[in-house]
Amino acid sequence: MLLVALLIVPLAAAGLAYFARTRVAMEAVNLAAFTVILVVALLLGRQVLASGPVALWDGFFYADELSALVILLTASMAMVCSVYAVGYMREDERSGALASDDSGATANSKLRQYYALTPLFVFAMLLVTLANNLGVMWVAIEATTLASVFLVMFYGKVTSLEAAWKYAIIGGVGLSMALFGTVLAYYSAHNLAGSETLAGLNWSVLASHAAQLDKTTMRLAFILALLGYGTKAGLAPMHTWKPDAYSEAPVPAAAILSTAMLNCALYGLVRFYILSTRCLGPDFAGGLLITFGILSMGVSAPFVLVQRNYRRLLAYHTIDHAGIMATALGVGGALGSLALMLHMTFHTVAKGLLFLCAGNVSQHFKTDLFRKIKGGVIQAMPVTGVIFLMAILAIIGMPPFSLFQSEFLIVRAALAGGHSVASVLFIVFGMGVFAGALIHIGSLVLGPSDGAPAAEWHPWRNTPMLFLAAVLVVIGFWLPAPLLALIRGAARVVTGE
Amino acid sequence: MHSVLNPEFGDKIVTLTAAMVLVLQIAMAAQRWLVTNIRIFGLQSFLLAFIAGTIAVFNGAPHLFMAAVLTLLVKAILVPILLERLVDRIGIRQEIEPFINAPLSVLISGALTLAGYIVSESIYRSDPHTSSAALGHNTLAVAISLFLIGFFTMINRRKALTQVLALLSLENGLFLATISLTYGMPLIVELGVFFDVLVAVLVLAILVYRIRETFDSMDVSRMRRLQG
Repeated sequence: MLLVALLIVPLAAAGLAYFARTRVAMEAVNLAAFTVILVVALLLGRQVLASGPVALWDGFFYADELSALVILLTASMAMVCSVYAVGYMREDERSGALASDDSGATANSKLRQYYALTPLFVFAMLLVTLANNLGVMWVAIEATTLASVFLVMFYGKVTSLEAAWKYAIIGGVGLSMALFGTVLAYYSAHNLAGSETLAGLNWSVLASHAAQLDKTTMRLAFILALLGYGTKAGLAPMHTWKPDAYSEAPVPAAAILSTAMLNCALYGLVRFYILSTRCLGPDFAGGLLITFGILSMGVSAPFVLVQRNYRRLLAYHTIDHAGIMATALGVGGALGSLALMLHMTFHTVAKGLLFLCAGNVSQHFKTDLFRKIKGGVIQAMPVTGVIFLMAILAIIGMPPFSLFQSEFLIVRAALAGGHSVASVLFIVFGMGVFAGALIHIGSLVLGPSDGAPAAEWHPWRNTPMLFLAAVLVVIGFWLPAPLLALIRGAARVVTGE
Repeated sequence: MHSVLNPEFGDKIVTLTAAMVLVLQIAMAAQRWLVTNIRIFGLQSFLLAFIAGTIAVFNGAPHLFMAAVLTLLVKAILVPILLERLVDRIGIRQEIEPFINAPLSVLISGALTLAGYIVSESIYRSDPHTSSAALGHNTLAVAISLFLIGFFTMINRRKALTQVLALLSLENGLFLATISLTYGMPLIVELGVFFDVLVAVLVLAILVYRIRETFDSMDVSRMRRLQG
C-alpha cells in the first residue's frame, strides 16, 4: 500500500502539473505531492523498523532498511527543493530568465516543464529504490537520466545544450554497461532452479543464493555495474558530465541531482556490491571501489583548488564525496558500512543546503563566477552568507559538524581494515578539497564588498534554507533514535548480519 | 514445439545471421554516409529480430516472440523512420567525417572482434552446464564485439546524430547478448528496456535538433565552452 502510494503520487503529480493552467496551480500540485510523499516515506521507515522488509506483488517491489533510508532522503530533498523552487522560479520569471530562451518558449511553458518533470524525476528515483528486480532497477535509473535531461537544458542556452548532451550521452553509454552487468548477473544464476522466471532477477533471490552464483560471470558483472552506476554517481574518470550538468540546471533541480540522484546511483552500486561480496568475498569488489573512490577524490581536489565558478566548485565537491562514499563502501565491514550510511545522510543535508545558498547568491548577484563577485555576500545577504559559510565548514569536515564524524569513521575503518595507503591518500586529497573550498567560499562570503545592494527577505527561498541549516546543526550533536536505527539497519543490510 | 524442429539447425541459422549482424556493424563503423548508416542500423535490427524469432521457434522460448516483435517495430522500423525524418528536417550535410579513416576503422573493428571472442571464451569456459543456453558461443562473441565496436564508433564520430546511432548499435549488441545467454530477460524488464530506448531516441533527437539550431552544426567537438 505504502509502496504503491510512493509511486502513484509523483506520477499523478506530473500529470496534473502538466495540465495545470496557472503557475499557482502547478506550485500547489508539486508542494502537495511532495508533502504526501514525505509523509509516506516516514510511514514506510516506521513500518520497516517495526516489522522488517516490506514486499509487494510476490516481491516485485521490495523495501528493506537500505531502501527506506534512501527513500527518506530522496523524499526530504524533494520536499525542501519544491518549496525552494517556488521562490526560485518566481524570481526567474520576474527577472526574465525564463523567457530569454531563443526557442520561443514562454515563461509559462517553461514553468510547466519544470513542475511536470520534477515529479517524474522523483518517481524514477523512488522506483530505483523500490524495485527488487535488478532489470527494473536499471530501467528506473535510465529513466532518471531521461527525466532530468530537460531539466539540465532548462534555460536553453548554448552551454545548457552542451551540458545536456554530455549528460545524456555519457549517462547513456555508462548505463549500457550497467545493463550488460545486469544481464551477466542474471546469467550467473542460470544453474539455479527457477532462474528463468521474473523472480530470477530479483535482488533478494540472487542475494540469498549468492554463494552458488557463477564466480567468473559475477566478477565481470560487478565490474560492468561499477562502471555503469559509477558513471551515474560521477566517479572519476566518468565524472565529466557532472560539473556541467550541476552548473546549468536550475538550482533546485541541481540540488536534487547532487543529493538524491547520487544516493540512487550509489544505491545501485551497493546492491551489486552485496551480491559480489557474498559470491566472491569482500576483497574483489572492495579493492575496485577503493581505487575508484580515491581516484575520484584525487581528480576533484585540483579542480576545487583552481575553480572559478562556485556552482562548479560544488559539483567537484560532490565528485569528491561520491569518491568518499565509494571508498567507505569498499572498506566495508560493520564500521565502513555504518560510516557510508551516516555519510550519505549527512552529505545529503549539507550539499542540499549548499546548493540552496548558491542559488540565492546566484540570483542576487546574477553570476556564478568568483571574479565577478569580489566578496561581500555577508553584507548584501547576511543570512545566506552566514549559512553558506557554516555549510561549507560542515561539508569539508570541520567538527562539530556531523560530516567530521562520518569521515573520521571512514578513515578509522580503512586503517583497521589494513588500507593504509588509501587512508593516507584519503586524508591528503581531503585536505586539498578542504583548503580549496574554504578559501574560495570564504573570500566569496567574507571578502571586501563592492557595494552590491542588500537583498530583500525571500520567504519561499529562505525558509527551506533555514530549515536545512537547523537540521545540519542538530544532527551534528544528536540523531533522532528512529533515524539512527534506520541507518544502522541499512548498514546491516550491507554486511548481511 | 522443439520436438518437431531440430535445435541444431536453428543454431546454425542463428550463427549465420549473427555473422551478418557483425558484418553490418563493421560496415557501420567504416562507411561515411549518414542515411546509409541509419538504414544499416535498421537492417541490423531486423536481423536481430529474426534471430530472436528463430530462437523462439527452435529452442522453445515463446516469450522471445514478444521481444522479436518489439525489436522489429521499435528498432527496425520506428527508430530509423524517426531518425531519417530528423535528417530531412535539419538538412545536414550527409558526410560523417570520422576522426579515424575507413581502412583503419575496419582494422580496429577486426581487433575488437578478436577481443570479443577472447572475453566470451572466459565466460563460457567457466561454465560446464551450457544446457539452458546452448547456443554456440559464437553468438556471445558477436554480441561482445558489437558492444566494443559500438564504443569505438562512438568515440570516433564527431557528429551528434552519428553518436546516437553508435549508442543504439551498442544497445543492439546488448540485446544479442541477452538472447544468446539467457533467452532474453523477463518480459517486463524487456518491455522497460524498449521503452527506455524509445524515449532515449526521442530525447536525443530533440537535443540533436536544438544543437543543430544553436550551433549551426552537429559537430559536438565544437562544444567546448564548459571546461574546468
